[in-house]
Amino acid sequence: MKKVLLILGLLIFSFSFVYAEFTKDGLTLTGYIKNEAALGTKVHQMQKFKDIVGISGEYKFNENIAFFASFKYWYDHVYSWYGKYDSAQYYMQHIQRNDWLRDCYLDIISGPWFLRLGKQQVAWGQADGIAILDRLNPVDLTEFWLPDAVDLRIPLWMMNINYSPKVNSNLQLLIIPDFEQSTAAPPNAPFAFRSYKLFMDFKQRWESNAWIGGFPPPFLRGDVYTNIYYPAKKFNNSKIGLQWKDRFLGWDYTLNYLYGYDYLARTYNDGNIIGPGGIIHPNYGRKFKLVQMAGGSLNHTFTQEGLLEGITLRSDAAVYLDEPTYYGDPARGSASGVVRWNNIFWLVGLDRNFFTKWTVSFQFAQYILAHETPGIAGHPEYKPLNSYTYGAQDRCENIFSLKIMTKFYNERIKPEVLWSFTDDNQGRVSPKISYEISDHLMATLGWDYFYGNEKDSNGQFRKSNQVYLFLKYSF
Amino acid sequence: MKKILFFVLSIILMTGYAKALDLEYFQVYQPKEGMSADEIMQIKYFNKYTLFAHDVSYTGKAYFIDKSGAVRERSTARKRLNLGRKSDGIAYKDITVITGPTQFKGIGTLSWTYLDPNKEQDVWLYLPSLKKVRKISASEADDSFLGSDFSVEDITSRRFEDENYRLLREENFSGYTSPFNQKTYYKDNPCYVIEATPKRANWYYAKRIIWIDKKYGTNIYEEKYDAKGQKFMYIFRWCQIFNVDGKEFPLIMFQEGEDLRTGHRTVIINETAEINKGIPEDQFTERMLGTSRW
Repeated sequence: MKKVLLILGLLIFSFSFVYAEFTKDGLTLTGYIKNEAALGTKVHQMQKFKDIVGISGEYKFNENIAFFASFKYWYDHVYSWYGKYDSAQYYMQHIQRNDWLRDCYLDIISGPWFLRLGKQQVAWGQADGIAILDRLNPVDLTEFWLPDAVDLRIPLWMMNINYSPKVNSNLQLLIIPDFEQSTAAPPNAPFAFRSYKLFMDFKQRWESNAWIGGFPPPFLRGDVYTNIYYPAKKFNNSKIGLQWKDRFLGWDYTLNYLYGYDYLARTYNDGNIIGPGGIIHPNYGRKFKLVQMAGGSLNHTFTQEGLLEGITLRSDAAVYLDEPTYYGDPARGSASGVVRWNNIFWLVGLDRNFFTKWTVSFQFAQYILAHETPGIAGHPEYKPLNSYTYGAQDRCENIFSLKIMTKFYNERIKPEVLWSFTDDNQGRVSPKISYEISDHLMATLGWDYFYGNEKDSNGQFRKSNQVYLFLKYSF
Repeated sequence: MKKILFFVLSIILMTGYAKALDLEYFQVYQPKEGMSADEIMQIKYFNKYTLFAHDVSYTGKAYFIDKSGAVRERSTARKRLNLGRKSDGIAYKDITVITGPTQFKGIGTLSWTYLDPNKEQDVWLYLPSLKKVRKISASEADDSFLGSDFSVEDITSRRFEDENYRLLREENFSGYTSPFNQKTYYKDNPCYVIEATPKRANWYYAKRIIWIDKKYGTNIYEEKYDAKGQKFMYIFRWCQIFNVDGKEFPLIMFQEGEDLRTGHRTVIINETAEINKGIPEDQFTERMLGTSRW
């Protein structure tokens, strides 16, 4: 299915360009070359040295029909320099070199209708850096949540159908027959999740007979079986999204609904398989589950004179129905199982320009597990677990972020600092400064500093602090 | 009793407000002999925001030139729809998109400006790095407009009600020779010279001296002074007169300004302009802003 879509997309793209050769007008081509280098300040080792090339092309058939495609290729040299980052080479294609057709779609406008058909990414939420409503595309978390959102999201083939019954309102229907899983760094890479590392450790120790404990004895230990079960490739498994957007008394709001397979697989213990001679094979299956999300967003700028004047309020809220949630004993470093719970995630953000050139943006979010936590599966010691660390997940996780931005020298120099943290004394501080060297060349220098416990989302990367320099030449 | 007082006060305020805005949208106004500084400035603002037209669209370029002569460039496309609509209080809607260079291509803003001069703009921003439309707070009035030497209020938000005015004299403008293209504009053009002082205390300028074209009521030149009386900025504007349906519409097509403290200059050129093409209001929505392909 995907190959057919890809070939179809390329044919349309090629046709557009051949056609453009004759018309000349309406065709726009742009591109960039970028180098991203990051040095680990604790490990004193390069954590990234990535060369990226991106090409984008747009062809406007007329005012109402346009075709757009973009390609991206990259190579991260550190995976060649340090074999341990991906010793199993499982992730070679994904991490190191990838020919990606990022976007490939046709835009059609006809009166109140707007259609975008093809490979694309869609964003719903108003939150910055926290995906509450933005669950339409899988994400590439190879570098945690550090890259720009446009690079984090993995575009999918979809039908994006919009109808505007009146000015400022919009009804959007998304049909997403395509499926890809969210990706993560391999177990020894700088931003590998702790839960992945723990699982690989277990697998290696079991298979190398280094297992601590008496049973089963080494001669009965066989390979660990892992299988991944993707949703069947059929149209009926398409993800469906629906959004209504409107404005009421100066407040912009959306109502959102999403139904389909979660992009993050959960690991299930499918029971040991006993092989010939009584050899025991632990058997794990990574499975994607159907989930529903219902939510909305609200935003407003206080424009009237008064205390609140100039403040922009942004808010997202969502309920995830039947969201797979790991549970187990956090001291064990593995999950005992998965429960399907209804969880809530909401956020409020406030933005304000201060003085002349300063912008301050504050966000507060809560991720709430809408269940009593003690006694899961009859074990009082079991707690819900963080999917990425297997650390204990608070029943109510309080998340904060503060971003301060400014600009100097006719907006040529733009410093900013982001502090993202939770009430568990863990977080990330990321100052950076961008300098526009010329119309075509931009340099960005920054630092990512993680702190906290290794069982927390940010704390797990406390040994992966890094300084980085990005150079981007666009044409 | 409080309610009655509030009602009476509201009527008085609304009457004053109506007087300040007695120019009707979609009409053409030009200064006349004997007009006061306030009346001339009302026409000037009416023209600045092209309220004579139903819609205006431009494509153009901005050049940022530092003291050493190094030039940075931005290409933009802008559209404005004038509404003057009392039902929801919207004066006009603007959409501005950066079309070049590539590293900024696709960044766009949508803003709604209200009739009530005390009400701030509603602004939405599309950022290609997020592929998302975000509601944002309007920039501070004294902030730089897109990194230029012009302030935000110079371009988008300063209103008639923000300053007090005094007619200094009438004179023929001495002419302006642009360092950018060496052309001389408006030599010996008859002008009103008006002093404008901001109502805000401790504002970033203490006064502006403005040369207003006597025929069309457009601001062709201004100087800004600080609290010490030191000139720190000048802005020149050239208007092209467009004949549409037998009416003369002045549109700003060339602006040049210099910050005398830094020696940095900005030139904004509108290369194309179209008036009253019947742009529908659904072109000025979040959805349209969010359909950027970059």
